[in-house]
Amino acid sequence: MAFTSDLDQIARAAAGDPAAVRSLVHRYSPGILGLATRMLSDRAEAEDVTQETFIRAWKALPGWEPRAKFSTWLHRVALNLCYDRLRKRKESLPGELPDMADTRLAPHDALDQLQRVSAIESAIIALPERQSAALTLCALQGHSQSEAAEILDVSVEALESLLARARRTLRAQLLEGRTSA
Amino acid sequence: MIEDRLFELIETWGADPDAYPEAERAGAKALLAAHPQRFAPALADARALDAAFDRLPGILPSAALTAALIASAPKPAGAGFRLRLPKFSAWAPASGLAALTAGVFMGIMVAPAASAASDTDDVQALLEQALGYDPAALSEEIAP
Repeated sequence: MAFTSDLDQIARAAAGDPAAVRSLVHRYSPGILGLATRMLSDRAEAEDVTQETFIRAWKALPGWEPRAKFSTWLHRVALNLCYDRLRKRKESLPGELPDMADTRLAPHDALDQLQRVSAIESAIIALPERQSAALTLCALQGHSQSEAAEILDVSVEALESLLARARRTLRAQLLEGRTSA
Repeated sequence: MIEDRLFELIETWGADPDAYPEAERAGAKALLAAHPQRFAPALADARALDAAFDRLPGILPSAALTAALIASAPKPAGAGFRLRLPKFSAWAPASGLAALTAGVFMGIMVAPAASAASDTDDVQALLEQALGYDPAALSEEIAP
């Protein structure tokens, strides 16, 4: 149903129908921005990625062929743009590795709800890129296993492996915060 | 479903069996129901993490970003050259009636003068035809 609705709206948006354009933006921009924000940990950069993703989408609309769901395609474009930016960051900061100690739940953090939320957000961002993306797509955005696997361009088994490792890391940090408090 | 697989599912997808792959959901639920104590610690850990995810604030686009995304979309063909006519509204008949009234009034005021001018011209033409020359031009020629 949503797929059919997408196709109809894509066709109308490609013809410049303002209502279809608005509908696509309202439906998909929160997910794209959320994914980019979790991946990049920078709101301004995440907004840039969101804009770039939609500009590419508008260009692709006239020749759109429904080989994949529009949502899947859009998230994949956004994710690749995030990978590009993360790669450029690493290139511009040679030798500097993420400081894992900063993402752990310190004893005083565990006592404060807001700080715990912040610590979990930091811990997600500190995960390896693909684990962070898998967790964001599945646990935070509720994408289906098959769709998340397609966005990440991996098998469902590989997606499970990424998710399990991500959750294991986060759970260890949560438990460490609790026991240290 | 074997126990090891259920532990994997809990570790991967969390405490809610409805989040597990559809093909394994029923088996997982049956095993959980059969041995609740065995999986309780793993489920508690998974629930803690699920709850932490639920507490994360949503990320929503600002109005400015939404507007920029919409503005970057393709425009309808010929949108830049569209002639924008004012919409028909209630005052249009009134303005039409006012224009008609003004036209009739102007016509009444101008008609006598136009008619007088027209009469003079007709007399002049008739004299030229009858006499074979223009008397006004002749009187100008013989004037000292």
